[in-house]
Amino acid sequence: MRDKLYKWIPWVVLFIVLIIYPHVAGIYYTNFFVRFAIYALFAVSLNLLLGYMGVLSFGHAMFFGTGAYMTAIVLTHIEGFPLLPAVLVGGVTGGVLALILSPLLVRVSGTAFAMLTLAFGQLIFVAALKFREVTGGEDGVGGYPIPPLSIPGIISIDMKDQVSFYYFAVVVVAICLYILWYYTKTPFGSLIVGIRDNAMRVSYLGFKLSHTKAINLIVSGVFAGIAGAIFALFQNLVSTIGVLDIGNCFLPLLMAYIGGIGSFFGPIVGSAVLHVLEFLVIRFTERIGLVNGVIFIVVVLFAPMGLVGLLRMVKERWFTRSANQMSTGTSS
Amino acid sequence: MNILETKGLYHDFSGLEVLFNINFQVEEGERHAVIGPNGAGKTTLFNVITGTYTPRRGKVFFKNKEITGAKPHRLARIGMGRSFQITSTFSRLTTFQNLRMGILSKRGIRFNLFRKLDKMKTITNETDEVLKRINLDGERDIPASLLSYGKHRSLEVSLAMSTDPELVMLDEPTAGMSKDETHTAVELIRRLTEGKTMVIIEHDMDVIFSLADRITVLHLGEILAVGTPNEIRENQAVKDAYLGEMEEE
Repeated sequence: MRDKLYKWIPWVVLFIVLIIYPHVAGIYYTNFFVRFAIYALFAVSLNLLLGYMGVLSFGHAMFFGTGAYMTAIVLTHIEGFPLLPAVLVGGVTGGVLALILSPLLVRVSGTAFAMLTLAFGQLIFVAALKFREVTGGEDGVGGYPIPPLSIPGIISIDMKDQVSFYYFAVVVVAICLYILWYYTKTPFGSLIVGIRDNAMRVSYLGFKLSHTKAINLIVSGVFAGIAGAIFALFQNLVSTIGVLDIGNCFLPLLMAYIGGIGSFFGPIVGSAVLHVLEFLVIRFTERIGLVNGVIFIVVVLFAPMGLVGLLRMVKERWFTRSANQMSTGTSS
Repeated sequence: MNILETKGLYHDFSGLEVLFNINFQVEEGERHAVIGPNGAGKTTLFNVITGTYTPRRGKVFFKNKEITGAKPHRLARIGMGRSFQITSTFSRLTTFQNLRMGILSKRGIRFNLFRKLDKMKTITNETDEVLKRINLDGERDIPASLLSYGKHRSLEVSLAMSTDPELVMLDEPTAGMSKDETHTAVELIRRLTEGKTMVIIEHDMDVIFSLADRITVLHLGEILAVGTPNEIRENQAVKDAYLGEMEEE
């Protein structure tokens, strides 16, 4: 009982911190946190493929980007479109795109998967650039109305207010992260890890590989799309450079690798590290990519399981050392 | 009754013929060994039957239903299990997690997204029972890749059995084992395949003669002889092609 209580304490603390954060930190840092949260969700959705299923996606921005675009387009063209459905539209778009691509993507793994996702990602990037009538080309889609969060007749919260939007974004991201965490703990989640370790054996045990991989791909696409939708609501501007470009493909990859692909929370840590880093580096230089790249190389060389993996290792060593000390202490 | 039967099976790799008119039969409940020199086509025969490859010509029947070219997962679901010559477990998962994968399949839990696996007590208990039965309960939480060779091979065979198949195909389960390990493995196989049909590829003649009810000898992609262990031991053609060579060694 007591153990259970202790387990809840960090979460309660986190909850309280998240509530008072915007009132203490001010608008700049509040928006800073929203960006971090959006990319944390994006990176975790990517890690379903990278860390859990063991395939490297070089085009994950296509799910994020199409989700963002669709939300923006829907809000532009349909007057009075409500907030939550706008978020769902983003998720559905990401999921549908994953569904469309899945017949091809589930057939390949390794380098072929990376190249195929890169190709599709770039294809969609260029298509969005050229399909000016709908996507606005290089200018993108912007200035669409941000609907309030309303339950008819009861409450209506203005989402143009940045603090309100902070709460909305944090709640949506938290719910999504919880769903994804739960997903990895289900029997189906364990199957995905089995595919990473030995896909052939999974099929010889009676599981249909293609369907299993496709579902994971779609789940990953849906949540990347939701991240994109929140991004669209947050920025009130969606343009190809920013949501669909190659930089946005690599950013969540860097986050996942730096935080650690072997853990569910790794990409969240990665998002936090890269955002703080960007915040610090931007005062001295605009070449953030250069700094990110160096950090990436250092992590890959010295902590291949990422920061969370490094932390685990240190913790284990610490425990074994203190256990050893205790045993020698008692014996002497 | 034949549980497994192939009719006029041919297979080649880019023109190199590996299987040549194979009419292979396994009766229900028997322990059937497939032997033959290296390159005789034993593993290819396994691969063609279990869905790794589709045969170029010929048909495969399982429980009187045609299964030619059926995918591995489909065969697993209708009761065929197999193990591999080169150990093929989930190396980063623990022994427990490895076997749990098979138990999930056996129970038909494939797309469950609404319950936590750790909370599914029946699955956990059943997996722990299996671990005890195969004497790997002491290695429950060790990643498969860190198991000793003998135990890793035991896990390999147990994984094939974990889905509770009617017919299990074991591809050299004792390959590379010491004499002691082989002895333990043979006992394990005997115990696990009790009341089931088994097809086994082996090189160790002691294992074959102690385990098998019937033997099929493959040579250069063709069936050279079929019979009981004694019949095979006395068969002149087999002696010339295979056993003689083994005895000289």
